[in-house]
Amino acid sequence: MNNRKSRWVWQILSANFLLFLLVFPILAQPDPNPDSPTPILISEPNSTRALALPDSKFLRGNVSRIESRAFLPDSKVVLYVTNLDLLADEGASAFRIYVEDAKGRKYRFPVLDIQPLKGQEWIYALTVRLKDELGFWEEPLADGDVLIGITWRGLASNRVRLGFGKTGGDIKDDAGAVPTPAPTSPIKKSINVEPNYVGYLYSGDRTRFMEQATFGPTSELDTRIRRVGLRTWLAEQFEAPYPTNPYPNLALMPINIDPNTCDAICRRDFYSMYPVQNWFFKEAFYGEAQLKHRVAWALSELWVISGVDTQQASWMIAYHQLLSKNAFGSYRDLMYDMTLNPGMGNYLDMVRSTRNNPNENYAREILQLFSIGLFMLNQDGTLQLDGSGKPIPTYDQNTVNNFTKVFTGWTFCNQACQNSAPGLVNYKDPLILNQNNHDVTAKTLLSYPGAVNQTIAAGQNGATELNQALDNIFYHPNVAPFVSRILIQQMVTSDPTPAFVGRVASVFNNNGSNVRGDMKAVVKAILLDPEARGNIKTDPNYGKLREPVQLATNVLRQFDVQSASGGAQSDGYINQIVAPMGQNAFNSPTVFNYYTPDYVIPGTALNGPEFGILTTGTTIARANFMNTMVFSRVPVSSFAPLGTSINLSEMQTLAAADTTGNRLVDTLNTRMMHGAMSAQMKSTILTAVQAVASTNTLLRAQTAIYLVATSSQYQVQR
Amino acid sequence: MTQNRREFLKKSSCALGMVTLATQVEHFGLMSALAQKVDSQEEANVPSDYRALVCIFMAGGNDGNNTVIPNHNDASLSNYSAYSAARNTQGLAIAQNALLPINVPRMNGLTYGLNPNLGTVAGGINSGIHELWVQGKMAIAANVGTLIRPMTRTQYQNGSIAKPFQLFSHSDQVSQYQSGRSDAFSFTGWGGRISDRRTAPDNPNGLIPMITSINGAQLFTAGQSTLPLAISDSRTTLANVLNPQGFNTSAESQARLAAFNQLRAQDLSNNYVAAASRITEQAMVANQALGSNPMEVTVPFPNSGIGYQLKQVARLIKKRGDLSINRQIFYCQIGGFDTHNGQINGQSSLLSQLSQAVRAFYDEMVVQGVSNNVTTFTMSDFSRTFNPAGSGATVGSDHAWANHLFVIGGSVLGGNFYGMNTSNGTPYPTLVMNGPDDADSGTNARGRWIPTTSVEQYAATLGRWYGLADADMPIVFPNIGNFPTTNLGFMQP
Repeated sequence: MNNRKSRWVWQILSANFLLFLLVFPILAQPDPNPDSPTPILISEPNSTRALALPDSKFLRGNVSRIESRAFLPDSKVVLYVTNLDLLADEGASAFRIYVEDAKGRKYRFPVLDIQPLKGQEWIYALTVRLKDELGFWEEPLADGDVLIGITWRGLASNRVRLGFGKTGGDIKDDAGAVPTPAPTSPIKKSINVEPNYVGYLYSGDRTRFMEQATFGPTSELDTRIRRVGLRTWLAEQFEAPYPTNPYPNLALMPINIDPNTCDAICRRDFYSMYPVQNWFFKEAFYGEAQLKHRVAWALSELWVISGVDTQQASWMIAYHQLLSKNAFGSYRDLMYDMTLNPGMGNYLDMVRSTRNNPNENYAREILQLFSIGLFMLNQDGTLQLDGSGKPIPTYDQNTVNNFTKVFTGWTFCNQACQNSAPGLVNYKDPLILNQNNHDVTAKTLLSYPGAVNQTIAAGQNGATELNQALDNIFYHPNVAPFVSRILIQQMVTSDPTPAFVGRVASVFNNNGSNVRGDMKAVVKAILLDPEARGNIKTDPNYGKLREPVQLATNVLRQFDVQSASGGAQSDGYINQIVAPMGQNAFNSPTVFNYYTPDYVIPGTALNGPEFGILTTGTTIARANFMNTMVFSRVPVSSFAPLGTSINLSEMQTLAAADTTGNRLVDTLNTRMMHGAMSAQMKSTILTAVQAVASTNTLLRAQTAIYLVATSSQYQVQR
Repeated sequence: MTQNRREFLKKSSCALGMVTLATQVEHFGLMSALAQKVDSQEEANVPSDYRALVCIFMAGGNDGNNTVIPNHNDASLSNYSAYSAARNTQGLAIAQNALLPINVPRMNGLTYGLNPNLGTVAGGINSGIHELWVQGKMAIAANVGTLIRPMTRTQYQNGSIAKPFQLFSHSDQVSQYQSGRSDAFSFTGWGGRISDRRTAPDNPNGLIPMITSINGAQLFTAGQSTLPLAISDSRTTLANVLNPQGFNTSAESQARLAAFNQLRAQDLSNNYVAAASRITEQAMVANQALGSNPMEVTVPFPNSGIGYQLKQVARLIKKRGDLSINRQIFYCQIGGFDTHNGQINGQSSLLSQLSQAVRAFYDEMVVQGVSNNVTTFTMSDFSRTFNPAGSGATVGSDHAWANHLFVIGGSVLGGNFYGMNTSNGTPYPTLVMNGPDDADSGTNARGRWIPTTSVEQYAATLGRWYGLADADMPIVFPNIGNFPTTNLGFMQP
């Protein structure tokens, strides 16, 4: 597919719908049905007790003759599952087994193996070890039945009973649980009526896709994706010009600002994060190249620099330009550009690191945070363990010392570069090498099987060494799973299965044309993965808390974000009401980002990075953000030339058209919650809507939107 | 109007809140420490006094080498010359005549010096914490750090004893300080685990959790069954820190508030939704308790981040009666100590902010009559290399290990160093690169002191004063048994 051609065709087609109908099917890339089947755990014929047997007795054959009973802790047990549709290389790591005991405590048991039964290939034998792998609670007591369920691709199976130590006990079946005996033939897939025109008809998945790939769904974007489908839209996005709103063109900051020529307003407008933040939000609201903006933002939370360190807009812009330049490029190029970015050089002290006075900061963080992490990983992102079950460090202090030497000698290009100016620190052009300050001794770098450039010979030029060292990092096997997992967490779900991470990592390692680190391929692999796609996700551990920036842009874009009085675009000045939610854009408190990818939610064993900034205080700030935007606006002020508001006229029309409020709430359900709003939630919101006079359509719309937008059900993107 | 709004918020949120609460207790043990069964022997022992621990985390890794400095010329121990020789050329040494002298009985009565920013400073509003040393209200725990068990330099170098994982890495060392264990990942912090054990017996009727963070979500504050309150600093009043805006007394608004409250009890099958709802629920419950009878401090606090945080702590302490709290743990943080460069200016400013704020807080506690009941202590990621990084105006230092920590309060046996002895027979390390206390070796050794006292021992000493029973020590500090004592002696018995 020639993307340029596709876009060109699209432009013509938009103007001529008839031609569109004739030509488009030839160019479109087909999108499959995004819904995976929902796995079913097989029970005994007449009860909800799991059909299960000890692993030692496992025989491939007649399932119906198996007798279920209690199982010992730490033993291996075979369960049976049906209604799956596995990819060629999809195995145990795509599944998780969750267990709940009579005390309501939750555990996770490792899945060891999955195999189809001979002669009954629609049934799979799933081998599980009865031992908790989360470690939040002590091991469950072997004193009676537990409920056991599996998850796969964001979908949860039914839960069945399993005798743990013995059968019986206090635990109750899930409401509505029924026996799920082994089917005698494959479960027929529901027949999809083939659409008579090309398009992506899965509205729940369209909304989910927009949440993952953009700064939030809009009606316009939804219509477009419905027409062209996900793959064509992605192809188009990979070529879309960026940014739609030009980067602010800001001068380098003088070392001493003359208050007579530059007052506080001038400093705000040229040297603080204010213009960067306003540009960023405006581009998130209205930019056409949404995917690039989104990926660049995700990368900014990985390769962190912060305005807290130096409040200079020009260097933050220069840094962001490198993120967006490489967002669909090569990760290796990104590593090089970031290393020599003057903002990064200042933030992590590389510009001050010399042969005689080395500074470890950048050497340590590029390894720990930007590329390989602290421990050896399997290709699916799980930890490698040594013989005694301990994780294996990727490097030690000695490695850091050696990388520190590699990174010595670089400094700002204050003369002879494009943006050099007398007396100014050049935060725009890449750092340059002063070979005299470079440590030319030999270095020993990362060691791994087949290590590239593990040693660097003495006496070389620093620029040569830099590339050798970056290759040493880039070819480390950790890079693919480490980076893939973080990007999945940023876009799709906080705790992806190892199978998902593994699929993306394999694309990172090789895009199909023997290219490593192809970001376009990686982003595509993430967004089109079966674990990312689907109309409904029921896995209790699927999804992610919307970070404040995403929460804000998703709600505002949903309701046609505009200037304070309408009729024009917003000026993007909303950071002041986003920051109290715990995320002050481009002012991360440390190089560890606003939150860390490994954050575990207190009181649980759940990995939920964004929960690192959700507290009693910020959860109320989130509600107060909604209060401001739904019931009021960001007014015009000296900071906000145009202000920001949302447009509720469409919602008011819906409220007027149906005085029961159902159409209003149903529309919010479709657009904000993938159509997955529970009956209970809908009824609760309707009660509040109906308490407002039906003639007051504005207050009805505001009430409904406030309640959806402040609910945890919405604030968790899932 | 405010009163009315509060009143109705209370009414509607109370009624609905209880439903929500009941549901969530069942599902996740929300506030379960409050609901926990109290051991019968403890039931009668609700404390009659008040005690609070206030943690101040100096984020980024404070350079202990420039915080507590030898100010003597005794040749038998590292003296000022040893310090100056290692740091002066690059511009990182503090002039001897600027040091604030402290006499240290444990160091054979020798004089040491505090960083000059811990005393009277230009533009300050009080005379800082140096005076508290003189008054015997401040102690220093010397050469403290993350350890799995005691470790000599030889053992460190030959690997015969397990090291804390990922030494010198910010995130890991912060986690280990806060979790109170260095041998494994932990879901909980030591403050949280104390809260798990002590909430039911000590605060049976508490209206807010035992732990409050004024600096966001922190591992230190997370327990297995209890969650902390996290609120913003004193720039927001207690009545407003958790107050959702935009509700009024109209029927429409009340219906919306009712729905807002009900939604939190729904759709809890997704664990992320449940976790978010749990936090909002906790905020709404606490909001009712904080809304009325505002308390204000009387001592002036500095206008700094840490000043605002400690002022908010002081307000909450003043309100302890309303909140039915007998034992309380607070978490505050001052960041910016990762001084790889610009350390002289950077650390000076931060230490003076710390000193001004802590002194104001101590004075406020005196005014409130609870200075003997409140103990403030510091922690930090790690100390920094004795050998400077860079030189001249931008000189800084890199990540290291053992550090010197402050403990302040009326119940502190102040005016002395505490901790296990280093190889030189005192708790203060030998300031020699590639010397007997340096983890580094060889000609490039940077001076990263190996700790002799563990974070657990430091924390257990504080925990014991707080009321943690001997039997609970190994539960709260799983590795405490590896160390010779659980009491460093800096707290009054």
